[in-house]
Amino acid sequence: MKPQRLWLAAAVFAAPCLLLAQFDFSVDGRTVQVHSFASQGFALSNVNNYLTMDTSNGSFALTDFGFNASTAITDKFRVGAQLYDYNLGRLGKYVPELDWAYGDYRFTDWLGIRGGKVKTVQGLSHDVQDMEFLNTWALMPQSVYPLDTRGDAIAHIGGDLYGTVAVKKLGSFSYTLFGGLRPNDPNGGYLYGVDTMSHVPDPKGGFMYITGQTKDVTYYGGPVYGADLRWTTPVKGLLLGASYMVQDITTTGHYTKPIVVAYKLTTVKDNATNFYAEYLFGNLRFAGEYRSEPKIVQLNQPSGVLVQGFQDSRSGYVSLSYRFFKWLELGTYQSRYVDNWPVNHGDPRNHIFDQTITARFDINRNVDFKLEEHFIDGAAIDGVLDHGFYAAPNPNGLAPNMHMLVARIGYHM
Amino acid sequence: MSYTKVFSLAVLAFSAALTVARGADFKVVANPSVGAASISADELKGVFLMTKTSLKDAGHVEPVLEKGGPVHESFVKEYLGKTDAGLQNYYRSLAFTGKGSIPKEVASDADVVSTVAKTKGAIGYIGAETEAAGVKVLEVK
Repeated sequence: MKPQRLWLAAAVFAAPCLLLAQFDFSVDGRTVQVHSFASQGFALSNVNNYLTMDTSNGSFALTDFGFNASTAITDKFRVGAQLYDYNLGRLGKYVPELDWAYGDYRFTDWLGIRGGKVKTVQGLSHDVQDMEFLNTWALMPQSVYPLDTRGDAIAHIGGDLYGTVAVKKLGSFSYTLFGGLRPNDPNGGYLYGVDTMSHVPDPKGGFMYITGQTKDVTYYGGPVYGADLRWTTPVKGLLLGASYMVQDITTTGHYTKPIVVAYKLTTVKDNATNFYAEYLFGNLRFAGEYRSEPKIVQLNQPSGVLVQGFQDSRSGYVSLSYRFFKWLELGTYQSRYVDNWPVNHGDPRNHIFDQTITARFDINRNVDFKLEEHFIDGAAIDGVLDHGFYAAPNPNGLAPNMHMLVARIGYHM
Repeated sequence: MSYTKVFSLAVLAFSAALTVARGADFKVVANPSVGAASISADELKGVFLMTKTSLKDAGHVEPVLEKGGPVHESFVKEYLGKTDAGLQNYYRSLAFTGKGSIPKEVASDADVVSTVAKTKGAIGYIGAETEAAGVKVLEVK
């Protein structure tokens, strides 16, 4: 680790702190709230380089920060926006982006509408997965919340209809209907994976991904729509929910070898379904989530031949955490990703199983520090372009098992 | 010490940790602009979780909270079903996704009374023995 990088990481972390950027001010009698956050992580693995970081040598390339401002223009109309910046190994590269920005009009408790760039509500924590201070974990369960593709999936440019309906003795139901366009994160993991990896026949049978600079892929996006329904049940502390999402993603660019010709990957079918549960009992929190995403895509090869690819991925996690003191929370989760469900689940080239234990220390109300150990079985290198394992940062191949220490300090105000 | 004894002690310690001490008594207060004389427990939860921004006969409402303390802990546990840390996370999730603001938090019962008294539509909670001058006490049904 070069000292300059340490200084850069320290400076990046310190800058928002120096701004002391939670302050409220009034404009025409209305309060404007300004909030900020930053986090800096360190990851060290025994083998493999994970999430494009050089984790096998120890990496500080796990940094993010942002700030937002929002206000209620009237009792029913809110506006706000957040700027966000991140660096994750070879991704992000500190290019600032507009994370969310929208207007939100709530007609009544059971009907509101928001439009702009809106964080997508899908599953238990999708819209808050990147707010490390809200979660016990240094890294969220990567099967459901992959950090490397955050920029592609965290928000949609479009709108939501939302509301909450209380039903006597049955608790309350909150719904969100959403639709719009997926934003393109040119520095995200999906494009990095497509750009740097090639799908080739495996001498042992089937296919595998290897490093290959044969294309320049620059765009990912397309329509997305879906719904989320969460039920705050009459059982104290129990929340149940389900989400459904349809995407029609197109990825474009061009092949550079053996000939220069357009590259186009289109979605024939991509429907994701989530079921989730959360149970709170005092300081104990249990959460679990299951996600199914069968997908059919069509790709033009350099020769012009169209080929179809099928993937039926399943993912999920169960987690348990307990806050022993105001300053200490301990937790564990088992996160599972199977790239292609009909194929052998036990093959480490088809799955990623991650058993994690975490200690979270809340230094004060605004600063937390986490220590986390991951025991990862499998790399699913056979069939995915993301989910943390890439060919390019692992030129000597991937070991089927690894463990990794992650330390992360976060600040928010 | 046998495994069974160690296990039993661990279970007892865990159970003790889960046992929450009896909370402080409190009452719910509102700005005089809030027309209602009573509020249901579900409505109260909705107001403090900000899924309910208006009440019948009351118009726009907004919560006022205390920053910690036994009254706050009792209220949050009994009516919101959360711990203080869980509630803070909930508000932050609204603020950092743009779906809401962090509500007003004040230091003491007296501050709750004065803030509620001067904020149209405000609803807060104070200790049962605290004088509620300038605000109205809502019956929780």
